[in-house]
Amino acid sequence: MDVIGVVASVVYQFCTNAAFLLLCALGLIIILGMMNIINLAHGELMMMGAYAASASYSRGAPFWLAAIIAFVAVGIFGAVLEATIVRRFYGRELGALVVTWGVSLVLSQGFLLLFGPFMPPIQIPEGNIALGQYSFSYYWISMFVIAALLVAALWWIYNRTDVGLQARATMQNPAMARALGVDTRRIYLMTFTLGAALAGLSGALLAPTTSIMPFMGQQFVAPAFITVVVGGATNVIAGAVGSSLLLSLVKTPVGFFLGAFLGTVALLLAALIIIRLLPDGISAAIQRRLDLRHRMR
Amino acid sequence: MTDKTAESQVDAPSDSSDSITPDRRAIVKGMSAAGLAAGVGLPTYLRGFETSAYAQTNAPVKMGFIEDESGNLSVYGIQKLHAAQLAVAEINAGKTLKGAPDIGAGMLGAEATVAKNPPVISREGTSLTIVDHGGDKSPVDLAYLEDADILIDSGEKGILGRELQLLSSDGQSNNAVWQQLARKLIQEDKVDVLVAGFASAEREAIRPIVDQFKQLYFYTNQYEGGVADANTFCTGPVCEQQVIPTVQYMVEKYGPKCYTIAADYNFGQLTAAWTKAFIPLVNGKVIGEEFIPLSVSEFSQVIARIQAAKPDWVMTLLVGQNQHNYYPQAAAAGLKYPMASTVNMAQGYEHKRFAPPSLARMHNAIQYQLEVPTARNRAFVKRWMTMFPKDPYIGEMAQNTYFTIHLYAKAARLAHTVDQQKVKRCLELGWNIEAPEGSVFLEPGTHHCAHPIRLAYCDEQQNVSFLRDWPMIQAWWLQRLGVNLIRNPEYKQYTPDEDPYFKMFAL
Repeated sequence: MDVIGVVASVVYQFCTNAAFLLLCALGLIIILGMMNIINLAHGELMMMGAYAASASYSRGAPFWLAAIIAFVAVGIFGAVLEATIVRRFYGRELGALVVTWGVSLVLSQGFLLLFGPFMPPIQIPEGNIALGQYSFSYYWISMFVIAALLVAALWWIYNRTDVGLQARATMQNPAMARALGVDTRRIYLMTFTLGAALAGLSGALLAPTTSIMPFMGQQFVAPAFITVVVGGATNVIAGAVGSSLLLSLVKTPVGFFLGAFLGTVALLLAALIIIRLLPDGISAAIQRRLDLRHRMR
Repeated sequence: MTDKTAESQVDAPSDSSDSITPDRRAIVKGMSAAGLAAGVGLPTYLRGFETSAYAQTNAPVKMGFIEDESGNLSVYGIQKLHAAQLAVAEINAGKTLKGAPDIGAGMLGAEATVAKNPPVISREGTSLTIVDHGGDKSPVDLAYLEDADILIDSGEKGILGRELQLLSSDGQSNNAVWQQLARKLIQEDKVDVLVAGFASAEREAIRPIVDQFKQLYFYTNQYEGGVADANTFCTGPVCEQQVIPTVQYMVEKYGPKCYTIAADYNFGQLTAAWTKAFIPLVNGKVIGEEFIPLSVSEFSQVIARIQAAKPDWVMTLLVGQNQHNYYPQAAAAGLKYPMASTVNMAQGYEHKRFAPPSLARMHNAIQYQLEVPTARNRAFVKRWMTMFPKDPYIGEMAQNTYFTIHLYAKAARLAHTVDQQKVKRCLELGWNIEAPEGSVFLEPGTHHCAHPIRLAYCDEQQNVSFLRDWPMIQAWWLQRLGVNLIRNPEYKQYTPDEDPYFKMFAL
């Protein structure tokens, strides 16, 4: 048995699974995690990002440029969506759920009618390294790195900049924030736009692995929601990172030794158990542990 | 929601009739309800609404049609819808395909100069450009010529002087919607024939409804085989026509070790069972099997397991847009195993949707795909592209739908009626029909078709060539099971478990 190969392969699969979960969840971290909007149109936002990337890529843009175009395009759409529809549903979670579901239906069927059943594919950037009988594609390795960088950038924005401070204040206590002079309407608009833009970016980044069709968003919705909810709202970014790592840790060995189906079953069971034991998510439990330690000092 | 649709259906026709003067409020309610319900399964008529001014004998012949025009399986459903629209338009314009009960077309064997290898058809576009003619064309040999022209005049417009009307609805890749639509078409619209079904799950969802009302039903899709139902005619190819030639070729050419990855539902499981049962007969072995749920779209772990198993070739039975992502992902991971399938390439045109070399080294034994380089197919493709210039592909199932609808028209004409039981008897004569794929024979006792089979191969640039032809392979499995629906009507689907021969060579 090629031990080094197997170990490398398992680590690679772990990174791939974690990267996939994190990329799916990226836009939703902000919209669901911070703004508490149950955005069922998340898959369609990712689909729009993939469409924008495919349209640019087939006109000659390099992949990185296509991804940036997707980021900007879906961000603009997110801003429009927020200004027209979403802002009427702050605080009304069930209303937001239904209205975003309606938006997702309109978007997916609309794209089917406007652009037909599929778009030109984006080729996965070439290259892979072989180690024994296993080979690892550069693409997934770079996706893992990019996901990590994006999360780090997000953390930096929210914890080290003024805008981030205002955003966190608004999410914690909008009335107090307004009293202290923060323009909460603008913060909501910016936050939603950022969430949508990130969803578009993830869609563009994941587009080479899938066929770009109007209903491609459906495959990302469940992993995204599971990751964000298991992560919890207390510290959204750390929570999402923690949950994607934890869920991958469960999924990878089961998936490798017993097959993809049982891997997914294991992931869902793990999510079920975690939510049952820690209803507010992983980040809440960790925060409680840290608070306890602080108080005991 | 279904009730609302039913109400609006009843309201709309009576509004346009002139014998009843409806109340204004009823018109507005009916119209708005029809407008609201338009998105939910309201069938789309090929030509306008039917009015009660039609006399009984001139009433159109109604063909119910359900396919997935949206959702995960829409890439296949839209092709089949276009095929139906083309066939219905041709029938109404007075055209039909060559063919008659029991009589085959026959072919002329002529002396010709032949190339050593088959022609390679380009993956670009739909004009069947030959990029490689197969080498030097000097050796002289016997070549068999098929009829170039299979579309002939039928002598009348429509069927028996009545227009053929296509009542098509969108199943939305959702089995529950399929059942609603089947009930609606059979019970409310009282269609004379039902042509529907892509996935086996969809077919099995509506077959009980078909049997309950003894509806004449055509299932035009390739599937795992075994349906023995007196009301159902399956005109698509089955496992013995596709799995066996493919497995035989792959083991011959690449080696005995096969790794199977299949969609985790009845089709994938049964086709994988066929592969496993047949492969020992050619000295092969299935060294690993994995069944993947239809919702999975991320395949790194599957790829790693294939690499761990080290097969000679991989049998990929992947269905739906989520699972097709396996191909670019495997190519990116550097997987170079030859692949075989009975579903990919010819149905979902992956070789055009994914950039090379995702589908390189793919083999598929099919009865039809767009690239078949015969004269009759070129004429068919040209007719199709004239009617649907933006279509990217004509797949296996679309062609099946096309010739099946023409076959129905011919059978109804011969029976001089569209009464469903009489047309069924007429179909059980045994029919030979000249389709774009070649000569197809509908077997009387089993209600299945014998097809010409070709082994399609996709090279590094994803251009297509056909490496081996079997002029006609019968659907013999149901015969071996003793199915004779004329003597002994049945209404079930057989599975390999019920066939003792399957276990004879199992390891």
